[in-house]
Parts: sequence; C-alpha cells; structure tokens
Amino acid sequence: MGGLAEGRRVSSTVSTQPPVSVAGSAAGAAPRRRTRPGGPRRNLAAAAFLLPAAALVAVVLLVPFGATVYRSLLTDDLQPVFGGLSAYAKLLDDPALSLSLLNTLLWMAGTLLLPVGFGLAVAVMTNAQKWGRIARLAVVLPYAISGSAVAVIWGYMLRSDGAVNQMLANLGLESWAHDWLLEDPLNTFGMIMANTWQATGVAVILFLVGLQTIPPETVEAAAIDGADGWVRFRHIVLPQLRPVTYVVVGISLANALRTFDVIWVMTQGGPARTSETLALSMYRESFLLQRPGVGSAIAVVLTLIVLASSWLYLRGQGKAAR
Amino acid sequence: MKGAVMKKGKQPRSVGRVARDVTVIGMALLWLVPTWLLVVNALTSVETYTGSPRWVPDGFGFFDNLVAAWDAGDFGQATANSLGYAFVCAAAAVLVAAGAAFAVAVMPVRRPALWFWLIYTGTLLPLQVFVRPLFSASAELDLYDSWTGLAIVYTAICVPFAFFVIRNYLATVPREITEAALLDGASWWRVFYSVHLPLAKPAMAAAFIFQFVWVWNELLFGISLTFSPTARPIMAALADLSSGYSRVPPPVVLAAALAVSVPTVALFFAFQRLFVSSMRTNI
Repeated sequence: MGGLAEGRRVSSTVSTQPPVSVAGSAAGAAPRRRTRPGGPRRNLAAAAFLLPAAALVAVVLLVPFGATVYRSLLTDDLQPVFGGLSAYAKLLDDPALSLSLLNTLLWMAGTLLLPVGFGLAVAVMTNAQKWGRIARLAVVLPYAISGSAVAVIWGYMLRSDGAVNQMLANLGLESWAHDWLLEDPLNTFGMIMANTWQATGVAVILFLVGLQTIPPETVEAAAIDGADGWVRFRHIVLPQLRPVTYVVVGISLANALRTFDVIWVMTQGGPARTSETLALSMYRESFLLQRPGVGSAIAVVLTLIVLASSWLYLRGQGKAAR
Repeated sequence: MKGAVMKKGKQPRSVGRVARDVTVIGMALLWLVPTWLLVVNALTSVETYTGSPRWVPDGFGFFDNLVAAWDAGDFGQATANSLGYAFVCAAAAVLVAAGAAFAVAVMPVRRPALWFWLIYTGTLLPLQVFVRPLFSASAELDLYDSWTGLAIVYTAICVPFAFFVIRNYLATVPREITEAALLDGASWWRVFYSVHLPLAKPAMAAAFIFQFVWVWNELLFGISLTFSPTARPIMAALADLSSGYSRVPPPVVLAAALAVSVPTVALFFAFQRLFVSSMRTNI
C-alpha cells in the first residue's frame, strides 16, 4: 500500500534481514515436526499463541472480505435481491465507471513507465558516484511523506494559479498553461506525476539493493574486454537485475492501484468523476452514492487486479513460506 | 557505496560520464522543487502572501500559520488521536503478531503454511475491500466514530505484516536453542518470553516503526469510520483543511502538511539503515 505514506503496503513485501541465512531455516522446519508430534497439550499451547492474531485477522479482515464478495452479488434495490453479476456489468455500462477503469489502466501504465523507470535510472547512475548518496536522498525523501501531504503539495503546484502555471508564465509559455486539475485527462496525468514523485524512492532503494548483489567481477571482466558503459549496463547489469525488477514492478503496481489519499485530497476524483480510479470509485459508490452492491463489485475487481500484480513478487514469498 | 557496479570509465572525462552527472543533478534538483516550494510557502506569513507561490523565503510566519491551521482544523485533538492510534495499534499488533509468529515458526503446530497464509493474506488485499462491511459492523456495534473502533481496525490491519517480519526472523533461530530450553523443563510460554521474545527484538522494532508510520499516514479508514474531532485521525484533519482551500490561505494548509510530515520524515532518517536493510530478504 506507496511511499511511507503507503508505508505498510511497501513494507508488506519486505522483511528484516535475519542474522542467520533463511535457507537453513526453511529446511529445518519439516524434520522438527516429525520428531516432535503435537500432543493435545502442545496443541492447546499453540492455539493460545496463534488465536489472538488469527482471530483478529479473521474477524476484522477476512470476514469483511467475504461480506464484500457476497454483497457484490446483490442488487442495490431497497430490498437487495440476488443479482448475479449485474453489479459488475455496471463497470462497463456506467460511463463514470468505465472512465474510472480507464484511469486505473493509465495509472498502471504510468507506474510501469515512471517510478520503475526513474528508479532504475537513478539507482544505476548514482550507485558508483561519491556524491550519489546526496542526489539519491533528494529522490528518496518524498517516500517518507504521507500521501495526503503529497497531495497538498502537488495540488498547490497544479492549481490554476499554482506554481506550474506561474513558472510557465515566467518562461513566456502562457499558452502551455492549463487548468491541470480540472481538465480530463490532464488531472489524471498530474496525479500520476505526484505519485511518481513519491513512489520513485522505493524503486531506487530496491534497485540499489539488487545492484549490490551483482558480483563486481562480472562487470570488471566486461570492462577489461573493452565493453563501454552502456554495453556493460545493457548486457551485464540489466539481465542480472531481472529478479529485482519483478519485485519492483509488482510492488509499484500494487501500490499505485491502491492509491486513495493522493487522489482524494487532490481532486476527490473530480471534476465530474473524471479523475477517479477504482480505488476511489469504490468509496464514492459505497458511501456517497449509497450503491454498496456496485461499490463491492468494484472492490472485488480491484482485489483481483492487485492480487495479479502482487503475484509478481509473491512467487518469491511463496517459496519462503514453504 | 560498496560494490560499485558501474565502474568509472577508463578515460577520466568521457562524454557519457558528463551526461550522466548532469542527468543525476538535474533529476535531484527537479525532485527537490516540490519540497522547496512546500517549505518556502509554509514559512511565508499570510499577510505577505500575494496569492501566487513564492520561490524565495520572506519573513518567518510558520508558527502563526501553524496556529491558524490548528484552530481551523482541530489539529491538537487530531494529533493526540493519531499519536494514540499509532503507538497503541502498532504496539498491540506487534505483540499479537509475535505470538503467532512464535507458534508458526518455532512450535510444532500442524499445517504451519495454512496458518501463515491465513494471517498473511490480510496484507495482500486492498483496504477498499474491507471498508464497507467494517463501516456497517461498527455502526451496529456502536463503535462507529469512536477511537476504540478505529483502533481495533488499525490493529488488525497491522497484524499480517508484523507477523510476516517476525516470523521470518524467528525462523532463523537455531532449533537447538528451543530444544535445550524444553529439555530444561521450560514451558512454551517460558521459551517464548525468555528466549524468542528477546531474540526477536530487532524484527519487532522494525515492524513497530513500519506500522507506526502506516497508521500515522492512513486516510481511507480515518474518513470512513469517523467524523467527529474526538476520533478523527490527523490525515483526515489535513484532508478536511485542504478541501477548504478557499477559506484557509495556502500557507496555512502547507504549514499543516509540513508539520504532519515531520514525524515520519524524522523516523525515516533515524532508521534509514533499517528501512533499506529490511528490503533485502525478498530479492
């Protein structure tokens, strides 16, 4: 869930570095169970440790998840009845929701292009520089700011009398000025930029970690063979960054899809619902328009897209869990 | 940085290096522009503010702006609420998660993978999928618009990731330690309390900080489950203040945005190494 703002979301895919190697532990789990089968008393003790967390997650998260899936199959009449997939069909019928779907796709494309691309560029270009740390700090800093505060800052820049139009006027480019937050699709592009400003830091950190796992010998060998900087990057470094890239893309996409605070504070999805994404449409339909069936259907569709994106990095975690 | 991958070019001042340095400096400066604007305009006093953004500081009106924001948005109460949410929910979640992590990683429970996914799934689903049922349930249980209601929800949301971090950490503790303690006649509770809890301190601290920051920054549940100042968290107060942009001059809103960012930015810089090292195991 992006930035420190969405700190948990980012962090949801990471973990502290253990003092001992992970590999040993995974192997250790199975034999232990065989040598020490759980007796009734031991099961009771285990239940006491497990129950608070499991119950909390089950009651507050998993049951509501089930309720949302169920609600998405009911209609939004005064007396809700089973409506099959009719609420889902609204996603395609209702022009506001189709636009929301389109905006969500724009957010996904923009996220793949900008935070991931900039993150890779900044990580690679600053990795070997002495003053790279300082430059990197400038890019990583917004990651520590909440989405709501990011939205306030960018709203201030993109308002019709904001800093961007002021800058354009000072450069003699009045004709380039726009009502950035009022025109569709400029408002969505503007918020993708705001999200890029915040989310690039995570990608930089992850790519740096990835770069440091590359054995320097492989790069040095290529240098001795006379490969110049770009060739070394393209043919030696980039292929070795592939596993990290999956993780960065997965995290960035999942975060972008869930973004609520940036959009809510900057435009509330407006004007006239033109800058909504699914993350926001769910809120508007459920709470403001009192159509919980449609709202639930949107939440379920959003969940499916988020899970598909998360699968990119979950493959690694699945192995760790076994 | 260690392990310099892109070795510096053979010839000292190649065109490529210059282009790279210029790009890096350009990007860093570009990235600093919004931060710069935030700070300069949050410091500008309302009296001297002309209506268009300032690029150079002029006077020092930050504290006046902050007082104005505090009055307009009831930030005093919201700050107290959110400090409470962040401390209590993060701490409660870490403790509850540590118990579950101990059971799954150390105790011989049956089907540890099932328990792992049962708890961990909570962090994969987008929050939007929980909101509406939790809203209805809290209304029925008389927990809507109460500090307790929102705190329970925040705690539950924080459990899965804290569990993930601590479980990964505990899974690396050598089994012999546990066995030795059990042979000495220690109960499971004793093993947890005297052996694994102290060992897991670094992971628990990391999880606590992540969750603290997350709760502090949360908006969606804050606006969905509360409306009165007694329960409203700080980001909801900021969002309310910001949507009243016309009534409150920009320097006041920006001062509030700057102030609410201070705790998380401070935590980030204080624990920078932790944030970076915590991203390692997965790659």
